[in-house]
Amino acid sequence: MDEYAIGVLTNIGLFSFVALSAWLLLVAGELSFGQQAFFGVGAYAAGICTAMLGWPLPLAALAAMALGAAAAALVGLPTLRLRGLYFAMATLAAAEMLRILFELFHWQIALGDERIGPDGTQGFRGIRWMFERGVEPLDFLAIVWILLVGVMVIFLRIENSRLGATLRALGHDPELARSAGIDVDRLKLCVVAAGGALAALGGALFAHHNTYIEPRNFDIMLGVHSLAYGLIGGLGTVFGPLLGVVLDIGVLEATRSLHGYRMIVFGGLVALLLVFRPRGLLDERAVHWIKSRL
Amino acid sequence: MIDFLQNTLDGLALGSSYALLALGFTLIFGVLRRANLAYGPAILFGCYCATWAYLETGIGLLFLALIAVAGSALAGIYVERLCFAPHRKGAAAAAMVASFALWMQFEELATLALPRHLYAFPALYEGGPLSLGRLTLRVESLVMLVAAILVCAALWGVLYRSRFGTAVRAVIDSPAAAELSGISVSAVSLRVFALASAIGGLTGFLIVSGDQQLTPMLGMWSTLKGMLAMMLGGLGSLPGAIAGGVALGLLEAHSQWYLGPQLRDFIAYLLLFILLAVRPPWMNTRSAY
Repeated sequence: MDEYAIGVLTNIGLFSFVALSAWLLLVAGELSFGQQAFFGVGAYAAGICTAMLGWPLPLAALAAMALGAAAAALVGLPTLRLRGLYFAMATLAAAEMLRILFELFHWQIALGDERIGPDGTQGFRGIRWMFERGVEPLDFLAIVWILLVGVMVIFLRIENSRLGATLRALGHDPELARSAGIDVDRLKLCVVAAGGALAALGGALFAHHNTYIEPRNFDIMLGVHSLAYGLIGGLGTVFGPLLGVVLDIGVLEATRSLHGYRMIVFGGLVALLLVFRPRGLLDERAVHWIKSRL
Repeated sequence: MIDFLQNTLDGLALGSSYALLALGFTLIFGVLRRANLAYGPAILFGCYCATWAYLETGIGLLFLALIAVAGSALAGIYVERLCFAPHRKGAAAAAMVASFALWMQFEELATLALPRHLYAFPALYEGGPLSLGRLTLRVESLVMLVAAILVCAALWGVLYRSRFGTAVRAVIDSPAAAELSGISVSAVSLRVFALASAIGGLTGFLIVSGDQQLTPMLGMWSTLKGMLAMMLGGLGSLPGAIAGGVALGLLEAHSQWYLGPQLRDFIAYLLLFILLAVRPPWMNTRSAY
């Protein structure tokens, strides 16, 4: 496989994590404009762990996930009772606060003859764990996709379990779910924390793929994109957000000749698609139809 | 003390532009119960049209203002038909994401027509600032303040003294009941979109001619500041939008002076987050998109 294809496939995998985290909240009935911040928390945390503290990547990724979950729970706790646009704006406000904190975050240590660590708006360069361990791009691609498939297998199992039905019930109508004896607040907090951990895992891998991160990577654009991926691909199945990412990044790469007109065409197509399929291509009905033919 | 007064004055001027942005947002929100992410980009579209016309023909400010207003209104109509009219019942998330898709469209269209990152825009007023004792006030700020007051008055007249305004308020109260009494909700929402986007276009024109420059960042900036001001004042209320805009302007001017630009933005978001978490009585946080 050539380097270019590997790069595209890796990017699709990386952004699928944050898209999945936004999709998880969508299924539970909430719009989050803030998943990019937990992606950022994961990226910074994992970068600090490997490049500055000398931890191995797997340990760093676990720490990043724990921190991402904690940050998401911290945002989720005071906003549990908010719905719709209020929840979306609260997550946006929290995410922008975190992004500004990244801009103000300076912590560098001397390693050899260079200083390594987050340097505010100048970003954080030198996250070279992959390079130093001789991990080839193809190996990294395999790592990303194995993790992604693992996450999706977990989601597929949840989908067919009691927990999956509970989640859909929460997304359908929280009041109804509450009256059916579901502990709505606890479930929502768990969903928010799981979404944070998932986004942080993506961020940890992103930081090590890019070797350089800056606060601007984690702005509102990434957040709204990840929300859009799930909605374009479909809310009916865990493959929805993946399809959304493939469509966006795939179309982006396939239409380089259209450079300059891409968003004009793509933006209009997305708006049109949502007119006919407001819950995405693979919505609940489509998934049901496909399942009944298998 | 003089610094405090000067900051307050600057904050009022900044706040009046936020108040105008929030007014348009609130109008749309009140009628549709939906947030229009493409509101700022529609303003961007109008201002790019005006800049393009200026570069091509060099026409005067009054015409540029008209082009900005008309361009934004047209863009608003386009957004309403494609993103909001099809999703009137349910599908709030789809409407919001569709408006985001059009945001991308407007931004690319703008940078395609005028690819540079920065364009000069003719100045609204060539002279220096006014001085009031030891305080100074830019004429552009004064114009913005007066425009905010005039737009509020005109909007009040439209909403409370015209047949169209009665229809708008009926739809805000209950779309179903309005439909039953023979009001076309679709037509009302289209016209409200055009009106709100026209107000946005005027605001955008005043901002770019005051700054004498235009960048593609105007779209995102307008959407974010307008939403922030609208949320601070409680959703869907016109006096709330004005109060929210002015409060945001004052807060930003003072915190910028004492704490710098990064913490200025941080404090605005922190205040919004705390208000949403605490939910004071004027923030009616029932389910809403």
